[in-house]
Amino acid sequence: MSKVKLTDVKKIYNGGVVAVHDFNLDIADKEFVVFVGPSGCGKSTTLRMIAGLEEISEGTIEIDGLVVNDLQPKDRDISMVFQNYALYPHMTVFENIAFPLRLRKTPNEEVFQKVKEVAEILGITEYLNRKPRALSGGQRQRVAIGRAMVRNPKVFLMDEPLSNLDAKLRNQMRAEIILLRKRIDTTFVYVTHDQTEAMTLGDRIVIMKDGYIKQVGTPDEVFDWPHNLFVAEFIGAPKMNTFKADLVREGDDYYVKAFGAKILVDGQKGDMLKEKHVENREVILGVRPEHVVLAKQGEGIDVTIQVNEMMGSELHLHTITTDGTQIIVRVPTVSLSHEERAKLTNGEMIRISFEGKVMHLFDPESENNILI
Amino acid sequence: MAEKKHMGAKAKSRLSNTIIYIILVVMTIVWLIPFIFLVLESFRLETTHQVGYVIPKQWGFDNYIKLFTKTDFPIWFGNTFIIGLVVAIVQTIIVLSMSYTLSRLRFKGRKAMMNVMLVLGFFPGFLSMILLYKVLSWVGLTGSNSVPGLILVYVASSGMGYYVSKGFFDTISRSLDEAARIDGATRFQIFTKIIMPLSKPIVIYTILTAFMAPWGDFMFAKYIAHAASDGMNVAVGLQNMIGTQASLAANYTMFCAGGVIVAIPITILFMSLQKYYVEGVTGGAVKG
Repeated sequence: MSKVKLTDVKKIYNGGVVAVHDFNLDIADKEFVVFVGPSGCGKSTTLRMIAGLEEISEGTIEIDGLVVNDLQPKDRDISMVFQNYALYPHMTVFENIAFPLRLRKTPNEEVFQKVKEVAEILGITEYLNRKPRALSGGQRQRVAIGRAMVRNPKVFLMDEPLSNLDAKLRNQMRAEIILLRKRIDTTFVYVTHDQTEAMTLGDRIVIMKDGYIKQVGTPDEVFDWPHNLFVAEFIGAPKMNTFKADLVREGDDYYVKAFGAKILVDGQKGDMLKEKHVENREVILGVRPEHVVLAKQGEGIDVTIQVNEMMGSELHLHTITTDGTQIIVRVPTVSLSHEERAKLTNGEMIRISFEGKVMHLFDPESENNILI
Repeated sequence: MAEKKHMGAKAKSRLSNTIIYIILVVMTIVWLIPFIFLVLESFRLETTHQVGYVIPKQWGFDNYIKLFTKTDFPIWFGNTFIIGLVVAIVQTIIVLSMSYTLSRLRFKGRKAMMNVMLVLGFFPGFLSMILLYKVLSWVGLTGSNSVPGLILVYVASSGMGYYVSKGFFDTISRSLDEAARIDGATRFQIFTKIIMPLSKPIVIYTILTAFMAPWGDFMFAKYIAHAASDGMNVAVGLQNMIGTQASLAANYTMFCAGGVIVAIPITILFMSLQKYYVEGVTGGAVKG
């Protein structure tokens, strides 16, 4: 059992800057929680408070029911992987991994046994006698993970562990972390600024901005039901298109009017609007690029293609409406005929529409989702 | 064509290397001349005073033997060695822990303290000489007892020499400290197991400078030992030996022998540690 509970946690730096506001979160045993947000949002600070590297200004942090506010990092039974690996340059890989055990005066045989075991899991056995400087970035990060694993901590903290790696290696290591997680089966708190990492790794994602939690939820929840405009735009790539629109009720049906077009809000969202008896109002309409569809002649909205990016399996079209609003469109290439593909070039005028079921509606003032 | 260009670059670098080496050789000779001169004088037997030629007419170790048997030189040498050793150890410990503290811990008045120490360091130490003498004589640490007195004087202001090593520690990533804290190390363990092994050059540099300063000091040592021969260090003792015209004429070659012996420990120390020393000076200088 290794639950982590943060209650009204606050971080105020000397000089009064508040880095984290009233952070409340229950992390379940063996859960993988990802803190994600732009730089300066307080995610690393929160992680460092759990680690004990940063003092907690207000509130409490509990690990397994024990308040750890005043405990030293070494007494919290946590381990941490740093962005810059933080390997001890003068020690071999073996000694790096063995270091936490040596400090605990573990008998030599056991140290040897455990380091060997960890090295095998991570595939670094052949490098055990090398110094960190003789390793590549990916290998170094593996050693750092090994050092964190070796003493079976209650909570595994990771502070942007993949940010220093190149894109290809990052994808590979991400997959390895998923496998590793299955293997060591403990509680993980992972910090990243990369929404893809957050979506692929997390059981739950905590999205933060300016020291506040903007939403906590599973990857599906935050993607399908963003609570506010910030989450909607932060999660998903390319980012969600957002623009002002009018929500109008006609009988039992709701429509959004934008750029001269009128699009039916159908499915669950339409039903919810009905239940809530929402009146005609201004909204911010959010449509993900993959939910923008090409429309037939005479329907939808006129846009001009400014940039087209061929991504292989799909095309990203950066388009502009007649009133100057930019809309990004994702078109899967597999369904396009040769003639259709030829039309989707820079400067061409096309017609687009939105999938009514998956449109997101936000309040222009509060920027909160009007359906939640 | 390309090959020709390549050859040109090679020849050019060879030429510039040759010039650099010639300059270095000339400088080495210029620097070595006084020392060679000193060594030659120390082996001269035909006379004890200065002469107008360089190569001795009669060679021998008599000057050295006399130095060790007829003068207090062994005492001076012992004094200096004890002072140098103790100061090197104590000062290194103080400087390194001071620098680490200033580099890693954040506490009230840290910046102000650093600035005050830096400014104080600009003043020459002998400004406080008269006062220090008074204090030391009250507690009876002058004259024949000047060894502990001098150790106190040299060690007292050690902390102010934090600057270079703090600069070096600043270049060691703080996440190493943090990783070690999480791995279970105490502050002291971080210092001894992580920071010290990574700071070998700066440790060597600190030991060397801490040893060198008292080894060659004259002013304080002279002032505090005054006329007590058994309280003198080598510099004061040797100078005392040639203090007058008559003693200069009588002891000059022996004085040179003393000079050679004084240089030996320093030379050994430097030669064995020079690899680290150069690294230490440049390594700390990056952010120093």
